[in-house]
This record gives sequence, C-alpha cells and structure tokens, in this order.
Amino acid sequence: MEAASVAHAAEHHGPPPANRSSRVEPQLLGMLLFIISEVMVFGAFFTAYFFIRVAQGDPWPAPGTHLPVEVAGVNTAILVSSSFTVHWAQTAIKHGNRFGLKAGILTTFLLGCTFLFIQINEYANIGFAPQDAAQQTIFYSLTGLHGAHVFIGLLLLLFVTIRSFRGHYSPEEHRGVEVPGIYWHFVDIMWLIVYSTVYIL
Amino acid sequence: MLNPLRSEEEAFRFLLYAIAVIVVIAGLIVLLRAIF
Repeated sequence: MEAASVAHAAEHHGPPPANRSSRVEPQLLGMLLFIISEVMVFGAFFTAYFFIRVAQGDPWPAPGTHLPVEVAGVNTAILVSSSFTVHWAQTAIKHGNRFGLKAGILTTFLLGCTFLFIQINEYANIGFAPQDAAQQTIFYSLTGLHGAHVFIGLLLLLFVTIRSFRGHYSPEEHRGVEVPGIYWHFVDIMWLIVYSTVYIL
Repeated sequence: MLNPLRSEEEAFRFLLYAIAVIVVIAGLIVLLRAIF
C-alpha cells in the first residue's frame, strides 16, 4: 500500500528524479529536440530558396531547365504510402500482431529504398549540376538534405526490421518502433513541403 | 491538444492534417496562377 502510494506520488507530482532532466521520457525528449533542430536546419535552406525566388526575383526553375514534376509526384506518393505502412506496423505491434509489424516495417523500408533510388536516378538524368546556377544549387541542397534524412531514416528502419524479425518488441514495449516512426513521419512532412515549393509552386 | 512529438499515432494524425493543408494551399496557388 505504502509502495503504491510512493509510486503514485513519483509518477504524478513534484520534480523529476535527480537523474532525469525532464518528466518526458528520455527517448522521446531526444527525438523531440532532434526534430526541432532539424526544422531549423531545413528552415535555413528554405530561407535561401525564398531569397532566390522572392527577394532576388530569379525565375524558377532556371531558364532552359525542366524539373521532373511527374516523377517526383510518383516519388511523393511512394513516401506518403510508407508513412501509412509504418503506422500499420506500429498499430499491429500495439495489438500483438507480429506479422503486421514485420510486414509493415519491411514494406516501409522497401518503399523508402525505392524513394531514394528514384531520387538518385533523377539526379543522374536531370541535366544540370549544382554549380550551374543559384537555382540549381538550392535545388540540389534542399532535395539532397531531405535525401540524407531519408537515408538516416532507412538506417533506423533497417535496425527495426532486423529486430522485428528477431522477435523483439511487444504490445507493452515498442518504443523502438515508435521513435523511428515519429522520425519517418517528420521526413515525410518535410518532403511534402519540399515537393510543393520546389516542384509545384 | 495534438502534439506530433508525443507518439507515433499523433505524428501520423499530424501528417494527415499537413497533407490536407499543403494540398489546399498548393491547389489554391496553382488555381490563382492559372486564372491571373
């Protein structure tokens, strides 16, 4: 009885324990701070983009160049689909469905690889280089920065996939799926902003 | 209040809202450009 009341007091009231800087779980706090810093990094690149287009008034894309809007659109659909599959994996393990976890995570990983492969293929065939003009520099910078994030996300997903197939995670303990899932959704949202500003608008 | 950094479920819901908002804004801009 006494132990239960002490546990209750520790859980709901007062400052966090001495070894914790916050009442937020360390894994979530780490991802929270990381994503906030990432938003600022993307913000710096978007500032350069809007400076070129709005403040300087340069044409977009640069004269004589064409951005593959349709191919990037298909790539966008692939990345958005991968967010649905990672959500499926997370929901599955919450309900103890191990097949759903493995299938969802593996599909997410493969969709992410497809996205990156198409983007690299796009770079190879786009017909201009980063050093050609300011517009090309910022095009490669923004899409490349995002591509680097997809690559990091794929590494995380690879670990989650391997651990899933080794029987890790349970309905009670699935933080290892949840945190990469949050990161993956963040990468997806950033791509939607990059795609709509760079390719469509 | 929706906090996309609290859980994967909330992040996913935030993603759906973001898709809706981005589609509406991009659609409006493309439409206005086509008109004017």
